Amino acid sequence: MIVPMAKVRLIGAHAHLVDAIRVVQDTGLLHLAQPPTLGVPSAPASPALVERRIRQLRRILDDVLVTRGLLRTPSPPPAPTDTPDIHTLARWARDAHRLRRQAERLRDRRASLEEERALVVRYQRFFGAFASLEAARSRLADVSAYHVVLRRDQSGHLDRLRSALRERLGDSFELLAQVLPSGETAVLLLVPAGFAQRIDALLAEARVQEVPMPAGYGGTLAEAIPRLLQRFGEIPSELAALDEELAGLARRHGAELARAEAALHDELQRRQALGLSGGTAHAFVMEGWLPAGREPTLAAALDRHFHGQVVLETIGREHWHAADAPVVLRNPRLFRPFEMITGMLPLPRYGTIDPTPFVGVFFPMFFGLMVGDIGYGIMLALLAAVLHWRSRPSTTLRSVSEVAGACAAFAIAFGFAFGELFGDLGLRWFGLKPLLFDREHEVMAFLGLAVAIGVVHIVLGLLLAAFTSRRHPRAALGHGLSALMVLLVAVAMLAALGQLPRALLTPAAITALVAFPVIVVLEGIVAPIELFSTFGHILSYARIMALGTASVMLAIVANQMVGAMGSVLVGVVFALLFHLVNFGLALFSPTVHALRLHYVEFFGTFYSPGGARYEPLGRWSPSRERPA
Amino acid sequence: METFWVSLSAALAVAIPALATAWAQSRIGPAAAASLTEKPELSTTAIIMIAIPETMVILGFVVAVIIMLRGGGAAG
Repeated sequence: MIVPMAKVRLIGAHAHLVDAIRVVQDTGLLHLAQPPTLGVPSAPASPALVERRIRQLRRILDDVLVTRGLLRTPSPPPAPTDTPDIHTLARWARDAHRLRRQAERLRDRRASLEEERALVVRYQRFFGAFASLEAARSRLADVSAYHVVLRRDQSGHLDRLRSALRERLGDSFELLAQVLPSGETAVLLLVPAGFAQRIDALLAEARVQEVPMPAGYGGTLAEAIPRLLQRFGEIPSELAALDEELAGLARRHGAELARAEAALHDELQRRQALGLSGGTAHAFVMEGWLPAGREPTLAAALDRHFHGQVVLETIGREHWHAADAPVVLRNPRLFRPFEMITGMLPLPRYGTIDPTPFVGVFFPMFFGLMVGDIGYGIMLALLAAVLHWRSRPSTTLRSVSEVAGACAAFAIAFGFAFGELFGDLGLRWFGLKPLLFDREHEVMAFLGLAVAIGVVHIVLGLLLAAFTSRRHPRAALGHGLSALMVLLVAVAMLAALGQLPRALLTPAAITALVAFPVIVVLEGIVAPIELFSTFGHILSYARIMALGTASVMLAIVANQMVGAMGSVLVGVVFALLFHLVNFGLALFSPTVHALRLHYVEFFGTFYSPGGARYEPLGRWSPSRERPA
Repeated sequence: METFWVSLSAALAVAIPALATAWAQSRIGPAAAASLTEKPELSTTAIIMIAIPETMVILGFVVAVIIMLRGGGAAG
């Protein structure tokens, strides 16, 4: 349900404004509204000044957050109750800025060392080969050296390169090659210094690339190799020293930075709250919402601090619009996990209906109807139990596990109703008989059940729409009559098919014919279109039957594999795999279609999205992150 | 011969909407994926959008079942 809210107004002496905001923050109850316009020119807080302070705080907070991220300090403790004075804020600003620069410098140095290490590792595989080739080169003087690595698939290039060189340079070159353990070939080409340009062109023609010389290690590979090897030994210790320096910074400043983060978040929220106050040079006024019935708690807190200097008054319901009130959903424990499904859409508007309890009943029911198998239900229950065991309270995963548990319970219940245990295995092994009907053979009965559930669901939606629009009698009557029309058409069809006494056919048809023009008068020319659309929505519930039938058929096919594979063992393995696939499908498809039936068909009749989330001014904590 | 036509009708009742669904989903899928990369909060809308064309093949399946049951194609 949507928690009823009360709108309150705080009035007090201007001197108490900042303290009043702090008390409001400590109680964590008031969702602040835009400041009231009093028709007087002055306001207690200059918007420009407030904006400037907020910008400054954000800058400090940004430094703190970046530094904490770089130093990987642990989560901040609960927010402190004391407010930082101007000197503390200045110190935090100075320290955070300095630490940020220091941490960024260390980060950059670390990244550069990591890069260098990657480069050295890349060249390491050539070291041995080129070092021995370079030893041969050292016997020659005044030559240019080219270092080339040929891929495994380029081994034929070596002979082509040698012939091309001989063609152009005669015997005035030396080509030394060594096969690497990886299958690549390291090639050292030595030519007289004057032939450099011709060799560049030749290498490009032969589509082989010279190993690029790493920057900063000397002009030739011969110079680079010893330095690279030396760096290879030095880099790990340099990295360790940097890590130690970062860890030292985190040890020395981590706690203070964490405290600063929490305090700055709080201070920022108070400054933002200041922008939501109005009043005169001598008095301030603030307005906001809190759950109805909690006004005395806030009033008592204000009274304790200000002894009547700041007063709280409740604004009458007739003075505010429901559309402006924030929304908070509160449901019984049983339905609370299903708030996750409602929460995937924008919040409902205040004053309308929270559909969570209905989702809590119908979502697992639809899922159960579609899966309808004791075996798959037990598998899902086990999965839900594992998720429950692995999750923490009040997390999305915990909600998922609880919703899955409810779906599993319905799947097992409908499994008994349809007499299914891994398809027809229950019947074959244990003589399991359906309590309701057999989905495999009585497809039309299943279709009838699915459409009947659609009628109930849609009529419920229309009745909820009538209730929601009770302040607008015309709309409410229109929704009510639409629900009646759906019921009358359903009764007339059942009577025509002989499922209900035929005597009901004429009265139902006549009543529907009378109601139809009334709906057109009440809702306009779109009413007939909406009515047809409603019938379309009801037919859409046939998907329950379609997916359910597909599920049972796949399970039966899986069972038939045992006898169809020649070997029983192979058949059993294939059957198990097929059941696993069917279970996977049973998790996905029924979920998506049950969601769709809710979001499109059911919610489409009454749901009014667009409510603002209730976000009271409160103390910041890491688990209660809100945009600053 | 009648069984042949009943079976063919039922097959077409599923096959044609299945092709239509496939075509619609092939257009919606990439658009939904592109939207989700920019706005992950649209995941619910994306799921609904992808599930909407499935109504065609589901209703096709229902019609096929009715054809088979009423036309005698399911006998034997």
